[in-house]
Amino acid sequence: MFSGSQFDATTAFSGGGFMASQSTNLNDSSPSAAKSRETQGLIPVTVKQISEASHSGDEKSNFVINGIDVNNVTLVGMMFEKAERTTDVNFVLDDGTGRIKCRRWVNEAFDTKEMEEVQDGMYVRVYGHLKSFQGVKQLVVFSVRPVTNFDEISFHFIDCIHNHLHTKVKAEGITPANPSSGSSLITPVKNASNGSQEPSSNPGYAQYSVDGLKDCDKLVMDYLQQHSDMSDERGIHVNELSRELKLPMDKIMLSLKTLGDDGLVYSTIDDYHYKQA
Amino acid sequence: MDTSNPAVFVNGELLPKFIGKKVRTVVQVNKCDGVVSAAKSTDDQELTVNGLPQVPLMNFVEVIGIAETNHSINAEIWTDFGTTFDTNSYNQLCQLANGEFRNLFL
Repeated sequence: MFSGSQFDATTAFSGGGFMASQSTNLNDSSPSAAKSRETQGLIPVTVKQISEASHSGDEKSNFVINGIDVNNVTLVGMMFEKAERTTDVNFVLDDGTGRIKCRRWVNEAFDTKEMEEVQDGMYVRVYGHLKSFQGVKQLVVFSVRPVTNFDEISFHFIDCIHNHLHTKVKAEGITPANPSSGSSLITPVKNASNGSQEPSSNPGYAQYSVDGLKDCDKLVMDYLQQHSDMSDERGIHVNELSRELKLPMDKIMLSLKTLGDDGLVYSTIDDYHYKQA
Repeated sequence: MDTSNPAVFVNGELLPKFIGKKVRTVVQVNKCDGVVSAAKSTDDQELTVNGLPQVPLMNFVEVIGIAETNHSINAEIWTDFGTTFDTNSYNQLCQLANGEFRNLFL
């Protein structure tokens, strides 16, 4: 849903304002800044990992897991102690490694509807923003969905392990940094919007190359080649081409125009006689 | 935040390590009389689950409860996972969660 490189987590869910982590990142040397930025998206974690996350800086919402800044996380667990209020729904998420308090603000009908579909004891997938409130870590969640395929539970924890390994490998510098990975998702979109004229001009260009002649052009060329006679300066009449090649006149004329533009044939005594160049 | 009472991912082989502790496992129910159920773990061991209500036979059920003996669990919470479940992936997850990546879970 939210991929790390496309979704700027910090600005979208921090509630706006000046972010200390961004300014420090800019001042940092480029490798570490790039590293923390790349993994800033949505991270699959366990409650145990959150419990061990350390605070970075003075901001209430800056946490570090595996040396990486963490803002938005996804968890899978059982919902307990759901308590609905007029503006928000509180609940506790138990993923088997621990329990964490969650809060879902209900501003719109969609929020209310989504929260009505989940109940205590149900497995849910949550997406949320990790925050510290009065010294206690909690999740401000923006999506709570019931788990319908229970393989998602296994998947989530395998995903946690995978992400843990991935960041660990990166931190230790085993795999080389890939500076283009961040922009690669955006670049093709840019090209598509800017280069709208390219697709139409490209096939046209291909037609003019000698090797890539269209079928009709090729037939005309071959005929002119086979029936060329140095002594006959008039060349071949278009009617003969049409008759011998069994092609309509407009196709013959189009091919001759194309071939003429490319300098492969030329008209002789009038516009109806052609010779190979 | 409370990580004092985790439910450990276990299969049949790992269950004896957690006697008296809270565990979670997925089993396929073979016999079920509403009190004691016989079930197969994800690594093909026969387990006894106490306190499991009537569930459709051959369904996969997740049981969270206290490990009683080497082969039995007292169920506190259970969830019917239905008729299809990837037991192989779950079994490998149990091994990873108790092995190399234990620190992410316990």
